[in-house]
Amino acid sequence: MGKFFARLYLWILLILLYAPLVFIAVFSFTESKVLGSWEGFSTHLYRNLLTGQMQGNASLLAAVENTVLIALIAAAFSTLLGTVAAIGIHNLKGRKKKVVSFLNNIPMINPDIITGVSLFLLFVFLHFSQGYVTVILAHITFCTPYVVLSVLPKLQQMNPNIYEAALDLGATPSQALWKVLVPELKPGMVSGFILAFTMSLDDFAVTFFTRGTIGLDTLSTYIYTDARKGGLTPELRPLMTLIFLVILILLVIINVRQDRLQKQNENK
Amino acid sequence: MKRILIALAAALVLAGCSEDRTQVLKVYNWSDYIDESVIPEFEQWYEEQTGEKVKVIYQTFDINETMLSKIEKGHEDYDVVCPSDYIIERMLQSDLLLPLDRDFGSTPNYIDGNLSPYIRACFDKMDGKGKNANDYSVGYMWGTTGILYNAKYVTDEEASTWDIIKNPKFADRIFIKDSARDVYSQIILKIKEKEIADGSVTMDGLMNYTSDADIAAVEDYMKEVKPLVAGWEADFGKDQMVQELGYVNLTWSGDGVWAIDEAAELGVDLRYALPKEGFTVWFDGWVIPKYAQNVKAAKYWINFMSRPDIVIRNVEVTGYVSVSGAPEVRDAFTDEAYEPLDLSYFFSPADTAVCANPVLYPDKADIDRSTQEHDWGENTGKLIEMWSRVKGDNANAFTYIFIGLVAVAIAAFAFFANAAKNRRKKSRRGRK
Amino acid sequence: MGKRSNWSIPYVVFLVFFVVLPLVLVMVYAFQDSQGHFTLGNLAKFFTDKDALSTFAVSIEVALENTALCILLGYPAAWILANKQYNKSAVTIVLFIMPMWINALMRTLATAQLFTMLGVTLGKGTLLFGMVYDYLPFMIYPIYNVLAKMDKSYAEAAVDLGATPWKAFWKVTVPLSMPGVTSGILMVFMPTVSTFAISEFLTNNKIKLFGTIIQENINSSMWNYGAALAFIMLIIIGITTLFDKDKEQAEGALI
Repeated sequence: MGKFFARLYLWILLILLYAPLVFIAVFSFTESKVLGSWEGFSTHLYRNLLTGQMQGNASLLAAVENTVLIALIAAAFSTLLGTVAAIGIHNLKGRKKKVVSFLNNIPMINPDIITGVSLFLLFVFLHFSQGYVTVILAHITFCTPYVVLSVLPKLQQMNPNIYEAALDLGATPSQALWKVLVPELKPGMVSGFILAFTMSLDDFAVTFFTRGTIGLDTLSTYIYTDARKGGLTPELRPLMTLIFLVILILLVIINVRQDRLQKQNENK
Repeated sequence: MKRILIALAAALVLAGCSEDRTQVLKVYNWSDYIDESVIPEFEQWYEEQTGEKVKVIYQTFDINETMLSKIEKGHEDYDVVCPSDYIIERMLQSDLLLPLDRDFGSTPNYIDGNLSPYIRACFDKMDGKGKNANDYSVGYMWGTTGILYNAKYVTDEEASTWDIIKNPKFADRIFIKDSARDVYSQIILKIKEKEIADGSVTMDGLMNYTSDADIAAVEDYMKEVKPLVAGWEADFGKDQMVQELGYVNLTWSGDGVWAIDEAAELGVDLRYALPKEGFTVWFDGWVIPKYAQNVKAAKYWINFMSRPDIVIRNVEVTGYVSVSGAPEVRDAFTDEAYEPLDLSYFFSPADTAVCANPVLYPDKADIDRSTQEHDWGENTGKLIEMWSRVKGDNANAFTYIFIGLVAVAIAAFAFFANAAKNRRKKSRRGRK
Repeated sequence: MGKRSNWSIPYVVFLVFFVVLPLVLVMVYAFQDSQGHFTLGNLAKFFTDKDALSTFAVSIEVALENTALCILLGYPAAWILANKQYNKSAVTIVLFIMPMWINALMRTLATAQLFTMLGVTLGKGTLLFGMVYDYLPFMIYPIYNVLAKMDKSYAEAAVDLGATPWKAFWKVTVPLSMPGVTSGILMVFMPTVSTFAISEFLTNNKIKLFGTIIQENINSSMWNYGAALAFIMLIIIGITTLFDKDKEQAEGALI
């Protein structure tokens, strides 16, 4: 009985949580301009999206491209900077370590709008003209702490003597770095990269304040301007549906695999 | 990965180095306010006319004040920008604009031959502290502020007065443009209807800051409206109207045209009215800021934007109405499906019966009820604050009581938790 | 070994430049007038600006209500999810986090549209609903994390010692899961106060939250007042973080 109610509760919550997403998905199969009016089944919007022939604004595809490009660059730099920083922080001691960890926490504690406004003021103050470069720098700023936090545990788990042993056995420092350190840290770096990538993809507020006036749009800012104008570009519906499906499939695969691994381990 | 790194490096280099400014024209315009295909055409045309190459850097803004602050505070070197009427006044008054010389050599001057006499007269009326706006700017698009309404639910009679936004019949169906200046201007005309009629005040006079009491009167009026309002719209009102979620929308003619066309496709009958108490017209115009680096290309840009074929294309893409009074433009937007209008004020004196869309080109009889807005100078803040008070101020007694209760609860919790901790400490000590 | 601590230097320089300096600039701008002279006027303006104050109060109210609703709805969900008896698959928890990965603005717009379709007038009620939609996963996940790692034997021991299951839950499980709840609160409360865009979309622009007035001021180039408002928020963040020291663990656990 308890089990039934527990399940029921979860299901109700899930239905509520997914209602808007399902709503978008359903209406991605009709051609109407406005979300919510059904004008018969059609895959026209998908065709428009995939061939790039939009009824409305072609800049949607540019926005998607920008979003992915910015996320890739920001995540790559964050991973590099964050990994190096994590190694440094791991080897710091006492007060210094505390201070750096505290600094590292600031961008995570700050709400997006504070990060956005403060960086906006920085770029204004420095007379730095805003555009791709400022957006990427801003994204690196709020992504790197997450990389640091994903790499640090790997360093703590690592046997500190391995690196020294490699050096003692005649490896050059760079060999020791690439053959010993990097492989050990790789899982942390990968999860840091993925986290940074998704944080950047999802960002709205920080991009909004640092993108300047050159007409640079990411998916978030595109949707914002589009919605303020009223009437979302219809092709956003199939786009969101596809993104949703890709993420769903990826997550389910990853987790089913993890589940299986776990069960295998338990059986052993 | 490598490609991305190269792209980034290139971006950094581009950001760092300064280009030869005589070959670059920085244009700063409203977003979605041009047919973008005319930009490369301008580059080509400029080279044909002057033998010089130019590359247009086209940037956009959504709020006048953003643009203004970039130029006023940031001293950014835009060569040609497109502010609204009251901002042109403000820029004239603070000496931010360069006069526009009309010497185009052998290139025809499209500006002065085509500009509508009506627009020229309106620009004459702008207050530039001794400077005439026509010497510093050239109009681009213009329009009116009025009432967009759904004819299924609203009668023409009801829509003929600004009081419609106070009509409880349309509660939760009213959308108001989120624009302090435009709302103030229309409502003050409504409130001062009698005074205007008996001649004790003029419509033009009301467009400047008059008194705190007048601001308060508009504020009171709008606070009566507020409970009926379904939303303060920046730009989404037209969409709500098309979907029949709103029946009444205080909005601009440009939005009105767009909504009426969209709605017609869905079989919804939307109409646009200019209320009897009077209304305002607005203009956007090209100006050359004083920090401009390529004045020559800037003036050619303005000239090019006034060429009738370019005008027609921009109008067709944006849906706004050009300030051009050229016969080519008139003919392009004449459609026998419409009733004839007296547009002699706008085109040539002979144009007393032009079949055009009355939302785009109001009849002379309507225009006689119109006036234009002005910059309020140092009193602008009062206007903005009035508007914030109308829109904001959503906190009520419940808000404060609720916050108070939570604060007390947290304090009490913290106190008891602390006390419990101390007790535990004590008892532990006691055991020792 | 000592040398490798130098590896943190580039990042420290980066942090100083892109985190510390910008925050210092927020403070500098907050205490300057537009001519760059020192002033307390911006802060004074906030405390006399009825609109800003009431927006602030409304933001706090909405954030409190949102946080409370998220706990009320999220705690049971997290508890059920963490309970092996009811939930055996990790996929279910993934289903609860997944909406976070879809663009928040798009989700919000769809929610608003769904409400209009159902004939619900957009306003305070829809704002709260939409906020709960957006933030519920941020509450469920940290609580789930703590509950899942929690040693079940404590609660079992309490029952063995004669406590009713209900009492064991309130006296053992709930206190032990408090770190999860506090990090959930941190991830819901401040972000709600500072939201912009989302609140407008959910209320047709009728109710705005504190984030919006910051954005409005910055965008209409009243940087100094905007910075002062941001500064006020920074102070509140400072106060709320005092309540919690497990934030980094919780956020780290999101990985």
